[in-house]
Amino acid sequence: MNFELNEEQSLIREMVRNFAETEIAPSARERDEEERFDRTLMFDKLGELGLTGIVFPEKYGGAEADYISYAIAVEELSRVCASTGVTLSAHLSLCANPIYLFGTEDQRQQFLTPLAQGKKLGAFGLTEPSAGSDAGGTKTTAVKDGDAWVLNGTKIFITNAGDAETYVILARTDKEAQKHHGISAFIVEKGTPGFSFGKKEQKLGIRSSPTVELVFENCRIPTTNMLGEEGSGFKVAMKTLDGGRIGIASQALGIAQGALDEAVAYAKERKQFNTPIANFQGVQFQLADMATQVEASRLMVYLAAYKASAGLSYSQSSAMAKLMASETAMKVTTQAVQILGGYGYTRDFPVERMMRDAKITEIYEGTSEIQRLVIGSALTR
Amino acid sequence: MKILVCIKQVPDMESKFKIDSAGTWYDHADLAWRMNEYDEYGVEQAVQVKEQVADADLTVLCIGSEKVKETMKKALAMGCDRGVHVAEDNLSSREPYEIAAIIAEFASDKGFDLIFTGMQSQDRGSAQVGVLVAEILSIPSVTTIVDFDYADGAVNAKRELEGGIRSLVSVKTPALFTCQLGLNTPRYPTLPNIMKAKRKELISIPSEDLLKIEPRQQTEKIYFPEKKGGGLVLEGDASDLADKVIQILKEKTGVLA
Repeated sequence: MNFELNEEQSLIREMVRNFAETEIAPSARERDEEERFDRTLMFDKLGELGLTGIVFPEKYGGAEADYISYAIAVEELSRVCASTGVTLSAHLSLCANPIYLFGTEDQRQQFLTPLAQGKKLGAFGLTEPSAGSDAGGTKTTAVKDGDAWVLNGTKIFITNAGDAETYVILARTDKEAQKHHGISAFIVEKGTPGFSFGKKEQKLGIRSSPTVELVFENCRIPTTNMLGEEGSGFKVAMKTLDGGRIGIASQALGIAQGALDEAVAYAKERKQFNTPIANFQGVQFQLADMATQVEASRLMVYLAAYKASAGLSYSQSSAMAKLMASETAMKVTTQAVQILGGYGYTRDFPVERMMRDAKITEIYEGTSEIQRLVIGSALTR
Repeated sequence: MKILVCIKQVPDMESKFKIDSAGTWYDHADLAWRMNEYDEYGVEQAVQVKEQVADADLTVLCIGSEKVKETMKKALAMGCDRGVHVAEDNLSSREPYEIAAIIAEFASDKGFDLIFTGMQSQDRGSAQVGVLVAEILSIPSVTTIVDFDYADGAVNAKRELEGGIRSLVSVKTPALFTCQLGLNTPRYPTLPNIMKAKRKELISIPSEDLLKIEPRQQTEKIYFPEKKGGGLVLEGDASDLADKVIQILKEKTGVLA
């Protein structure tokens, strides 16, 4: 077993870290305070660096790198700005990936290529007001009418929405079918008549990432925009979320690492009782626990990423990685605020933002409760 | 057109350095390594010239152990066409003239039109290698460049001098240039280029094959500066401070009668 990053992975880490520290970090606080998404900085530039199609084949504009490289890129971006990390993760894992996995060759050429090249931003619409963890409760409908499907319904909490051009949407095509049966996936583009945007959420964290409602009112899309077979939507969604979990686990890992780095640096500088607080065993024990959890989370993320690239089954690994990394992020960021004390509670220091950002990683793309269900039911089958 | 850029792998300057057991260099253990910062500007400039001149071939050369190949990959990912690794496991024992002789020996029969090096390395900092290479090859060298403009076999380069003055130097190729910080903005190697770098040619030549001269200097000792006593901070208004300083210089030092 080789636990070392290969040369390409090391170079990718160095490149993304330099880019993130130089270009993304300086505006992270301001974008969070203003709840402002900066598409040029947080997406177009990632496209120029070739990060918007990391894992896809060159023929679709991708870089043909592996999932560990993807995890590294999301982690390094999230280390300075979790909002930028999720912009990339949602784009790649939740929109580009299902089109790659389930799309026809025509759909891949038409929709995947501009996404991989960073020319178009992607989003994924599954969640509805009454269908979160219970994704089978999808109420958005798609009714066949001639050579079109007509969509009606709303989706909420959609990352990248409003700015994204390409959306993978889940809708019920068979009203008679129960629960998670009878749902299909569709590709819908911004600007399609009948497709509009509703409320933009005001959130606790990742405030620089837009989270917006999608509204479908008799939105007609060509039948060629159905993604995968009719009725296979739930399977498309679940497979999509498996990959998304690696992205969110990487985001959580990056948030945790960023907070840990801040806490260590502060502890070495801050003097109380005539000595840096890093010299107190109490503080060292806290930092040791944080670092151990972060390192363990990293290995979980890499294991899931390794399996994904090796073509092995990875649902359980990605659920475990997401569960562990997100809970670690919450603990480590909270502890980081504690270590920075009163200063950590102010917006002058980044750890309070990291703590606010960490919380969502325990909720979206499958709550921690759902992850436990996935792992537990696999164990006890 | 043929271009050569010479790079060195050095430790991250934020690292905690320790003296090695021989007392003649820093200990290599537990350090993070990177491309010498001055060399990054050299690589970027070389790549820019390659992009400007349609038919140019760019070689990156680096001397050191197997480890330095990692840093060479970055240069390949930034746009160099091929890499030449000169295998030398004991790099720190080689003095600048030996390094220059190795590079010059390699370059002697290749007909490079342009050679780029960093102005100095961040570890040894001798600032000699580039100039020595040019002298051995009998080509002009222009050092500490902060601006570079190539056209039709000639270069107009600006050198950075003391006090912010710049001097404009015109030279015909073949010529060698040593690069100062701020010459350009080194590009981020894009992900597709990082992946392509592993397919580029990277040959290894043992340093013994290229080293044909004897060293002329050796490092006797390397050590941290001794800690001096604390400084004195004076406060007050300017004219009072001036008097105080003159008093101290008269009484505590020999610089004023």
